Amino acid sequence: MNPWWTIGWRNLLRNRRRTAITAGALACGYFAVVIMDVLSLGMIADMIDNGTGLLLGQVQVHADDYLPDRSMYATLGGDDGVDVADLLARVESDPAVDAAAPRVYGGGLVSAGEHTGAAVLLGVDPAREVLVTRLLRGLARGRPPADTAREIVLGADLARRLAVGPGMEVVVVAPAADGSLGNDLFRVSGVFDTGIPDLDAGYAVLAVGPLQELLALAPNRIHEIAARERDPWGAPATARRVAERLAGVGPPLAVDPWTTYRPELVDYARLTTASQWIVLAVVFGMAIFGVANTMVMATFERRREFAVLLALGAAPRGIVGSVMAEAVALGALSLVLGLVVTVPVMIWFHLAPPDLGAFVGGFSMAGAFLRPVLRLEYPNAVLVGSAVALFVTAVLAAGLPALRSSRLPPAETLGGR
Amino acid sequence: MRVGGDGWSRVGLAGAVWVALSAGGAVGAPVVAQPAAREIVDRVDQLLRGRSSRGTMEMEIVTEHWSRTMRMRLWSLGTRYALVRIESPRRDAGVATLKVGDNIWNYLPRVGRTMRVPPSLMGAAWMGSHFTNDDLVKESRIVEDYDIEMTYDGLRDGVRVWEFAMTPKPEAAVVWARVTERVRQADLMPLWARYFDDDGTLIRTLTFGDFRTMGGRLVPTRMVVQPADKPQEHTTITYTVLEFNVDLKPEFFSLERLRRAERTREEGP
Repeated sequence: MNPWWTIGWRNLLRNRRRTAITAGALACGYFAVVIMDVLSLGMIADMIDNGTGLLLGQVQVHADDYLPDRSMYATLGGDDGVDVADLLARVESDPAVDAAAPRVYGGGLVSAGEHTGAAVLLGVDPAREVLVTRLLRGLARGRPPADTAREIVLGADLARRLAVGPGMEVVVVAPAADGSLGNDLFRVSGVFDTGIPDLDAGYAVLAVGPLQELLALAPNRIHEIAARERDPWGAPATARRVAERLAGVGPPLAVDPWTTYRPELVDYARLTTASQWIVLAVVFGMAIFGVANTMVMATFERRREFAVLLALGAAPRGIVGSVMAEAVALGALSLVLGLVVTVPVMIWFHLAPPDLGAFVGGFSMAGAFLRPVLRLEYPNAVLVGSAVALFVTAVLAAGLPALRSSRLPPAETLGGR
Repeated sequence: MRVGGDGWSRVGLAGAVWVALSAGGAVGAPVVAQPAAREIVDRVDQLLRGRSSRGTMEMEIVTEHWSRTMRMRLWSLGTRYALVRIESPRRDAGVATLKVGDNIWNYLPRVGRTMRVPPSLMGAAWMGSHFTNDDLVKESRIVEDYDIEMTYDGLRDGVRVWEFAMTPKPEAAVVWARVTERVRQADLMPLWARYFDDDGTLIRTLTFGDFRTMGGRLVPTRMVVQPADKPQEHTTITYTVLEFNVDLKPEFFSLERLRRAERTREEGP
C-alpha cells in the first residue's frame, strides 16, 4: 500500500475522539439525507398508490373520444359496443397487468325521503373491481354490491346527507342513453369512506349490469377498462404494450397510463425528488465546514512533522496525498458508520412504518389521500449520491489544509517561526 | 348576479308552464300605436301569461344521439304553479313534474316515489330536452329584470315588426347577458327570441310559429328551441289543446296530485 495511505489512516487514530466526532457528524448527515429521501419516496409511493390504486387503476382504456368530455355515448367500440370479455382477456394477457375490470359511468340523482344528492354513478364488476382497485375493499360499512342485484354503495358524506345506511332503499334517477329518465330503487349494501371529499360526497357504486339497464345501455357497452399494474412507474410502457394488443379491435381505443390522467402526481414526485438533492447539498454544505475545521486543526498540529518530511526531501505532492488520504479514510469510516446507523432504521421503518395516527389525522392532496404513516421506500440514486457527497465533503474540506501543509517553509516552521 | 332563467325561457320551458304563463293577457290582435318599447314587451310577456290554463302538448326532442316525442298534459295557475304529466312514450308514462314557486318535484311511477330537484340541478336539462329546470321556476316579468330598447321598427320579410334588445338590470338574477326578440306588430305575436351569454355569444334561439286560436285566444302553438352550439339538435313544443282561465285552485298543485296517476274531473278531459 502507498505509504501515504498508511500514514493518512494512522493519523485518524492519533486523536480518536476528534475522529469519532467528525465521522459521527458526517454519518449523521448521511443518515438525515437518506432517511428524508426514503420517507419522501414513501410519501410519493403512498400518493401514487392512493391516487391510482383507490379508484383509477394504473392503466385505463377508453374510446378515443371519451376524454375529456366523458360523454355517456362514447362507449368502447362506439354504438355497437365491444366483446367485453375478449377485451378484458387481451388487457390481462400483458405480463405486467395483474387484473382488469370494466366500468360504466353515469350522472344522476340519488334520493331518500326528502333528501336528494347528485352523484357520479360508477358501474363495476364487483368480483373484478376488488382485484384492480381498493375502493370496494375495506368498506367503512356493509359490503360491495352483488353482481346482478339492485344494490348500491355510497360515499360516506353522500350517505350522511341522504341519512341512509346499509339495508335502506334509495331512488336513483339518471338521464338514459335513449333520452328517457332512468329511475329505479336500489338497496344500500355498503358505505365507503376514503377521506377524499370528492369521492365520499359525490360517488355511488353499482354493479355494472343494473347501471347499464338504468342508463338504457346494452350489456356490451362500457366506458372504461381499468387495469392494475404491479410497478406504477412501469405503467407507461405497459400502456404502450396493451395498446398494441388492442390494435384492430373495432373503432380506435385510447390506452393511457396514470401518468397521463394524473399528471399532477408525476409533477409532485419530480418536485419532491428534485428537492431531495437540494437538501443533500445543504446538509453536506454545512458539514464541509465542520470537517474543514477538523482538518485544519489536525494539519496545524502536524506542521512540524510536515516540515521534517519536506526538509528530508519529501515532495509537496506527497504531503497533499497524506492529508487527502486521511480525508478519504475519514470519509470511508463515516460512510460505514452512516450505513450501520441508516440501514437498520431503513429496514425497520420499511417493514413496520411508524403510524402517527395518534397525533395527526390523514389528509388529501392532489386528489390522493395521505395517511399519517411514515411509509418508507427503499432508496434510489440519493443513497449513492449521499455517499459520493460524503466523500466529496471530506476531500473538499481537506483540500485547503493539505495545500497549506505542502507549502510550509521547513526552516521557519522547525525554528518555531 | 345572473343565475336564473328569463321570461321567454320560462315560457318555453315546460311548455306546460309556457301555456300556463300564456293565459290571461290581451286577447286577439291589439294594435299598438307606437307605444314605448317597455310597454310592448310587457304586453307580449303578459300575452304569454295567464290566470290559469290546461292543455296537452307534444315535445319532440332531437339530439345527436337520439330523438323522441313525448305527449304530455299540463296545468298551470299564474306563474307560481304548474303540473306536467307525461303520457307517452311508455317508458316515461306517468312521470310528472310539479312546480310550486321556486321548487320542483318529479314523480317517478316506476318506483312510486317523489323526488325534489335540488337547487344545484336547476340548470340541468328537463326530461332530456333543451330546457332546464330553472326555466320552469322563474316567475318574474321581463320588464322587471331587463332594460329594454327598441332596435328596429319596420318591415322584415314583408311583415311589419319590432325588434328589441334587452339587457339585465344590475340587480336582476337572470342567466342571460342579452336577449333580443322580434315581435309582429299586427298582433303582438313573438316571432323569435335569441339569448346571449356574457361574451356576447348566441347560446340558443327560441322560434315561435303556427299562430292559431286556442282556448279563445291567438297563441303561437309551436315553439322550437335551438342550441347555437349544436345546430343538429332542437326541442319542439307543439300545443294540441289549450284552455285558458280554467277553474284551478292552488290546492290542485299538491304532492298528492303529483303522485296521482288516475285522472280526476278537476284535471279536465
